[in-house]
Amino acid sequence: MHDTTIPIGSMVPLSGPSSADGNEFRNGLELAAEEINQRSGILGKKIRLFFEDTGTQSATEVVRAARILIDNGVHAIINGYNIGSQNSEYEPIADAGVIYIHHNTLLQHHDTVMSNPDRYFGCFMGDPAEYWYGQGFIKFASWLRDTGQWEPRNRKIAIVSGTKPYSVVIANAMASASPQFGWDLVSRPIVVSSPTRNWKEYLDTIRNLDPAILAITQFYSGDLARFQLSFMENPIPSLLYLQYGALHRSFKEAVGEKAAGVIVGTMIGLPRDEMGRGFAEKYFRSFGPDSTPEVGCQPYTSLHHYAIAASIAGGTGGPGEIEKNRVVADCLLRYPYRSVAGTIRYHRKWQAAVPYPDAVHDPSLGLPHLFYQIRNPDQEHALIAPDPYADAKFVLPTWLQN
Amino acid sequence: MNKLLDQNTNDDVVSAIDSLGFGIAIWSSENSLVKCNLEFSRHFDIDDPDSLAGLSVKQLVEKIAQASRLILPENRREWRCQEEQAILSNKLSQYRFVDGTICEVKRWPTKNDGKVHCLQDITQSVRNKRTLEKERDKSTEAERTKSRFLRAANHDLRQPLASLKIMIYNCLETKDTQERDQLLHNMDISVSIMEDLLGALLNIGQLDAGRIEPKISTFQISTILDRMRLQFEHQAQEKGLTFRVMPSKHAVVSDRALLERIVSNFVANAIKYTETGGVLLGCRKRGDRLYLEVWDTGIGISLDDQEKIFQEFFRVSSEQAHRKHSLGLGLNIAKRLADVLKQEISLKSVPKKGSVFSIKAPIGNVWHSDIGEPEISERIGGEFTGLTVIVLEDDEILLDALVALLERWGINVIHLDHSQEIGPQIRELDTEPDLIITDYRLHGAIQGTDLVLEVNDLLEKPCPAIVVTADTQPDLIERIKKQGFPVLIKPVSPPGLRVIMHNILYEPELVPELN
Repeated sequence: MHDTTIPIGSMVPLSGPSSADGNEFRNGLELAAEEINQRSGILGKKIRLFFEDTGTQSATEVVRAARILIDNGVHAIINGYNIGSQNSEYEPIADAGVIYIHHNTLLQHHDTVMSNPDRYFGCFMGDPAEYWYGQGFIKFASWLRDTGQWEPRNRKIAIVSGTKPYSVVIANAMASASPQFGWDLVSRPIVVSSPTRNWKEYLDTIRNLDPAILAITQFYSGDLARFQLSFMENPIPSLLYLQYGALHRSFKEAVGEKAAGVIVGTMIGLPRDEMGRGFAEKYFRSFGPDSTPEVGCQPYTSLHHYAIAASIAGGTGGPGEIEKNRVVADCLLRYPYRSVAGTIRYHRKWQAAVPYPDAVHDPSLGLPHLFYQIRNPDQEHALIAPDPYADAKFVLPTWLQN
Repeated sequence: MNKLLDQNTNDDVVSAIDSLGFGIAIWSSENSLVKCNLEFSRHFDIDDPDSLAGLSVKQLVEKIAQASRLILPENRREWRCQEEQAILSNKLSQYRFVDGTICEVKRWPTKNDGKVHCLQDITQSVRNKRTLEKERDKSTEAERTKSRFLRAANHDLRQPLASLKIMIYNCLETKDTQERDQLLHNMDISVSIMEDLLGALLNIGQLDAGRIEPKISTFQISTILDRMRLQFEHQAQEKGLTFRVMPSKHAVVSDRALLERIVSNFVANAIKYTETGGVLLGCRKRGDRLYLEVWDTGIGISLDDQEKIFQEFFRVSSEQAHRKHSLGLGLNIAKRLADVLKQEISLKSVPKKGSVFSIKAPIGNVWHSDIGEPEISERIGGEFTGLTVIVLEDDEILLDALVALLERWGINVIHLDHSQEIGPQIRELDTEPDLIITDYRLHGAIQGTDLVLEVNDLLEKPCPAIVVTADTQPDLIERIKKQGFPVLIKPVSPPGLRVIMHNILYEPELVPELN
């Protein structure tokens, strides 16, 4: 390594089922590094990026990637998500004492950090835990009900989960919050494994339970597309929520106009304000019209935040330079950053971005949990909550209009 | 020379008068103003004190009235007469100014039948005196309340204490099991009465000391309703009353704990004073407010008593049956807590028909609703939250670490003691286990895998299990796996355990040992 550069590593799924997102993560980091380096880097030192492929994102692959990057002397590891590593990579990273910012969206992060704050001082999650999807959706549905935008025909809610911890946690969070907000569970969350090809069977069971809300926390876009096509063959008169994968281009291409009316949420996305739109335009110019700025923005924002914190801290530290990196970590906690995706403000104990409006009431102090309603394929998804980010109103889906 | 001296002396006197830190006015024997200083005229917004020289009493009073600096009564004519008389009579008086200043006016006759008036600002000393008086009154009231409270508490505590003494003595004497059980039950009631009294004493003490600081947040009212149902359902049933809690979906803005205490006092009171029928707890939305209402079919409260019901130690019933279980503090505490919250309490009642107590709370924004968890962690929302796991481990240090880890993930951990018979321990379980984690080599040359099979026999179905071992012999590990058990090598890493647990519970097809 040269003294004039700061090596930053990234563990990204460049191959395997999540390679589309992995490439967006790499794009986001490259764009951020270019912008920072054009402005003289971190205290005059340019950022140099190192990427390691995490393939299927298993614990073995992610730990291997972390070890290689640490052996290369990186001062920080910043990436998107690696679902499946179960926090195993925290161990070599904590041993090296470098900064690690990821977007795994997992509640496990809270638990690991709080179990030993001194050891995991450098581990940060740049987006809120998936838990908030669950609680946030229940508040969203209650808000639609309480403001008269939608009149549920009963109090019943059905929840369908995938088998990954991400899906299970969201489903559990929905289930535990529901009674407080006046919703009755028709059953424990129904768990379906991936790939799910025969949704009809599940839909028939759910139809008999007659829920006013149907929430699917399975997140693979292929599974969700198959679900939606099956659902539309004989729709259940329920408010329909699909997990994050329904925002993917592949879902839109597979389902087309049959997705119109579905609710989807994301804990980190691009608000349609000046900053969000400006970033999206720049991203499309750099990586083409088929790129996805909503995904690339995740590590993009975190690299910017890291550069600011490291500059205030007076510089970065490589493996073993724990005291230097403690100062950087302290600056990440101390200085919130208004990114293109909203404000990243780390919770002191969780070391995860705090969500708005799920955990804070002030939009300037949290990363917005955005709720979209899918419109026709030629239209942009309608951003319907929360204020002040919303730019459209909820519309009753066709299957609820009769 | 003398004239010059006189002139100098006169100048010195004038200068000295003008320098005084209080107002002064000198009157001639003909009652005309000879001289006043700036401190005097300044109070009436007059910059040149000499411009007042030569004014008669009447003229000065008129000038003061015109200055509009004094707070004057509506009847100005009467005030003028009184003021003129006061000036002529050398009486002590006070001026109250519109800016809050208070001045004392002292008047003395001079040797040549004139008068000298002194105007002194006493605002600060008056304020100090008032503050002291308020503090004294507060302290006197607190003392009075305390004494009243202690007298009553003394009486109420003595009663169950005396009963307890007798019952303990009888309990020691009796050999009849049934009688002893009845005595123990009665002792339990006496102790709970004392508990209530001491709890109320603590509440009153905190309220008196102004130590209760409300923590306002937005939360779903259903959380309080559910707790009320759990708290009072049994009590109402025991008395043969129905207790219905109507569900509500609304969020309110209040202090969760204090509001719960108020509603709890209403419900406790309703059950206490209702002999037949029932009690209903529900919410009613009116505009942007939610009314939490407690309806009962109890003895009711007369119109006269409705005023007094929220006073300390007031008990609506003179019947001994009610009095012995009532301290007359619950509604007073509810009222005082509502005052702290600035939320209104109301009462509607018809004697012999029943009462409705209610408290009004602002309706909150559902987005701001706090679910009441201090920390968002896997304990409350992880993928393993609520599961039941049996642990078989002899090493106390390892056992403690494993239990702590599993509990942190929200798991209900059951440690089976294999030195005792397993059957009764399994039969005592409230819920069936979702998983077993066992050490391979347990004390007494027992193999964990054998115990797992024994548990499965007792459950009459297979429960998935993970075997942990410090033995790294490949043959042994292979043997355990062939029995259908995934193996983890000690020390067990949390991520490793997490992965295998997840796979067993949610994706068993990924666990080769199970297939």
